[in-house]
Amino acid sequence: MLGILGKVLISASFSASLVAMVFYFISANRDEEKTLKIGNWLFAAKAVFLVAASGILMYLIFQHQFQYYYVFNYTSLDLTPRYLFSAFYGGQEGSFMLWILISALLGFGLMKWTRSPYKAPVLFFLTLTQVFLLSMLLGWDIFGLKLGASPFRTIAEEMPNAPFLQTNPDFVPADGSGLNDLLKSPWMMIHPPILFVGFAMMTIPYCFAMAALWKQKYNEWIGPALPWTLSANVALLTAIFLGGYWAYVTLSFGGYWAWDPVENASLVPWLIGTAGIHTMIIQRKSAIAQKSSILFAILAYVAVVYETFLTRSGILGSSSVHSFVDLGLYNQLLAFMLVVTLVGLGLFFWRYRELPSPDKEAKILSREFMTVTGAMLLLILGSVIILGTSSPILGKLFVENPTPPEISFYNNWSMPIVMIMAVFTVLGQYLFWKKYDAESLASALINPLLVTSAVTIFSIIMGDVRNLYYMVYLFCGYFAIVGNAWVMVRLALQKPKLIGGSLTHIGFGMLLVGILASSAYNEALVDQKTANYNAAVERGEVTDEQGFKVTQKEEMLVLNLDEPVLVDNRYTVTYEGYELDNRVRRGQQNYKIKFEPVDGGKPFYMIPEVYPMLTSSSQENIQWSVDPDVRTGLLSDIYLYVGGSSYVQEQNDRIAENSMMQNVAARDTVDEEPKVQTLTFNPGQTIDVGKFKIRFVNYAKTDSTGLPPNTTIGVRAEVELIHPASNRIITVDPLFAVYSQNGQSYIYSPPAMVSEFDLEFQFTQINPQENSIELTVTGLEEEYEPEWVLIVADEKPFISVVWAGTFILMAGFSISILRHWNRERKKNNES
Amino acid sequence: MKPKLIIGIIAIVGFTSLLMYNFGESISTYTTFEGAENQSSAHIPGTWDEEKGAEFSLETKRFTFYMKDEDGVSKKVVYPKPKPNNFEDADQLVVIGEMRGDIFYANEMLMKCPSKYNDNDPGQFTKASDS
Repeated sequence: MLGILGKVLISASFSASLVAMVFYFISANRDEEKTLKIGNWLFAAKAVFLVAASGILMYLIFQHQFQYYYVFNYTSLDLTPRYLFSAFYGGQEGSFMLWILISALLGFGLMKWTRSPYKAPVLFFLTLTQVFLLSMLLGWDIFGLKLGASPFRTIAEEMPNAPFLQTNPDFVPADGSGLNDLLKSPWMMIHPPILFVGFAMMTIPYCFAMAALWKQKYNEWIGPALPWTLSANVALLTAIFLGGYWAYVTLSFGGYWAWDPVENASLVPWLIGTAGIHTMIIQRKSAIAQKSSILFAILAYVAVVYETFLTRSGILGSSSVHSFVDLGLYNQLLAFMLVVTLVGLGLFFWRYRELPSPDKEAKILSREFMTVTGAMLLLILGSVIILGTSSPILGKLFVENPTPPEISFYNNWSMPIVMIMAVFTVLGQYLFWKKYDAESLASALINPLLVTSAVTIFSIIMGDVRNLYYMVYLFCGYFAIVGNAWVMVRLALQKPKLIGGSLTHIGFGMLLVGILASSAYNEALVDQKTANYNAAVERGEVTDEQGFKVTQKEEMLVLNLDEPVLVDNRYTVTYEGYELDNRVRRGQQNYKIKFEPVDGGKPFYMIPEVYPMLTSSSQENIQWSVDPDVRTGLLSDIYLYVGGSSYVQEQNDRIAENSMMQNVAARDTVDEEPKVQTLTFNPGQTIDVGKFKIRFVNYAKTDSTGLPPNTTIGVRAEVELIHPASNRIITVDPLFAVYSQNGQSYIYSPPAMVSEFDLEFQFTQINPQENSIELTVTGLEEEYEPEWVLIVADEKPFISVVWAGTFILMAGFSISILRHWNRERKKNNES
Repeated sequence: MKPKLIIGIIAIVGFTSLLMYNFGESISTYTTFEGAENQSSAHIPGTWDEEKGAEFSLETKRFTFYMKDEDGVSKKVVYPKPKPNNFEDADQLVVIGEMRGDIFYANEMLMKCPSKYNDNDPGQFTKASDS
């Protein structure tokens, strides 16, 4: 019932937008106030319908109405309220809804703050994009032509051929299949909403650019559009940062960036939007760059829609780690993209001749030239990344069935581009605030260059940088930091409100340095033996059994329980066991790994987690997922996750055995012989052996009774046999004695019997150097296997600099937003 | 035509051709074990050859298994990382690496895992190192 209401509301919302669009169009064409008002009322009605539909979906999710596919597919009974809430946008349909909701909210802001003649056309284009987005949610079936995928479709509609539905059409599943465990993270609460704020805001510069072309007023739109574009930028940057941080600290992607298409989908609009900000700012100062401002504003949104198309149409299904599932929206998404692009670029070229051109060419040493070049470089970088991301489509020009490009494609192209950018930020900032000719600029730059060189040389020596290319790159990065800081300090003394730009560029420089340090100097933490092996692999000295050169390094570490291992000559690393923790996720193990710095620093623990993925595990097969632990430091991070453990293996073996037993009664060989095992103990150590625990308490005093004559050494071990099932502790004290007879030494270690459990203990060896003893136990059913954990640990230097750079970028942009917004507000108050 | 314009056009054309050339070089096509000879980074889709098992050795710290490529040829694959968590569940694998003699050395592995409830859902690939 509610589902039908939901569908009706979405259809109503769609229709209201469609009609609103018509009224906005008329209003924009005739500059009419009355039709604009009607358009606004329809826009508001659209928003109300959509909010109501979202409320219903939220209600269905919280009420566990599993007959609805969306509820069934993304939630389950055991989800806590906050994950039920985030399940709302956990799937493709809901995330479209969230996107439109935010876009509608922004629409009200535009109604309030936009002045004519831009108001009606801006709202027309905003509504146009919403019409397309709403059409993705319709779920209409017009003569077999499917339009949209409704979030309110039932299971029966989704899977008409499912056997359990054919026998019982009214079947309602008792529980849903649950939110993907990887999405059960606090980051899921904030990352997607902020990303959609960014996407929705990036629509606004597009709308303004289109309005400018429509109304043929090419200059004034910059004023209101600039703060919106800056805000879109901060929102996207925040989303990118949150996504990167999420990937790094909990998803064990191994780093904060992997050039994955979905990551690129948020980066490219950001780059092009930033290019637009540059040209808009320079357009305010002089009548240059009108064309490029409009073009960038259009392209930034085209990039949003194109990347949406790539990630949601299923095209990237085989090349991306986390693109969405294809919902059959391919044609609709394609239409959306084509309309946005063709209308945008079409109108742009239609008006092209009319667009004002600068009277004279800009000199190379001018802020105009530097800023526009910077914007062009941003566009080029964005285009390179789009090209790589488009490999499933554009790759067909080269090969059939193309694979994604190698990561080196992205790195090799972006590195030189950002290096040039870094240098240009400094030149641009100097020229922005003061006129220079070549000579005066050179002399103004002498001091920053000296400082940059000093810092670069210092880093090269400290970091043992041997790659010449990296040295130049570092120099460029530091130059951006130092040069812009120079400008900023001077500005801050005079007009502190204007430091936004130079601060942003400092952040950019820090980002460059941080990215290089953390990715190129990422180092696996391994023990000495493995390090030697890896060094030999690097020299090409290792061959495998077939005689081929081994190229793969070993980047993991096995730790046995309570056996310290020296890692990287810097840490003594000890595995101190795991504990089961059912509080967050059932069956989760928290592993305790102790790090003791060799140089006497403070010891610390890393607690990586392993847990069974409940949504995809079954009786016959447990799927394990990991949650890494990251120790953040100013100079470097330690990043560590568990690749396997004796516990996980036991669980898997147990399950494998169970399913074997079901198939065949395959236990024909039962070992009748009592087993003999030798166990090594340190004083105080306890070892788990099947249903027993054995603890070596300490050496015990020996009196002369029971000792052979001529005993030279006679020691007893106080050993506790613990049987947790019956809560009993039995103490035995087996003897170890050395006696001499006829000039020869003999060991005497009579067995100590435990008759209740049919066990025999013999004290067979003392290792004074390791301070350990060896006990031989006869009759234990299960074999003692040492507890171990396999860890993969990396040291990543200066990730903190990457984050700091990002924060400074955000701060710089925010300062600029305030400045441009304040000016806009004053203008609004005047009019 | 102004000389500046000509230089600009040459620069753009040069840049674009270089970019496209390099792009073409850095992508390859999905292939088979046979086609992977002499390729340093071959992408081979296939399925796990279940009968021959799969094992992570604590000694060599390598995960080895047999994979059947699309021609039905089964070869040993060596992967220098722990066993990916959803390995058994994957209904398709893509191994990325190099063929050496009769053994394929994978540097990277992608897995496509089915959705349990929905036949329409083609599933998605996940990087082995991510799971």
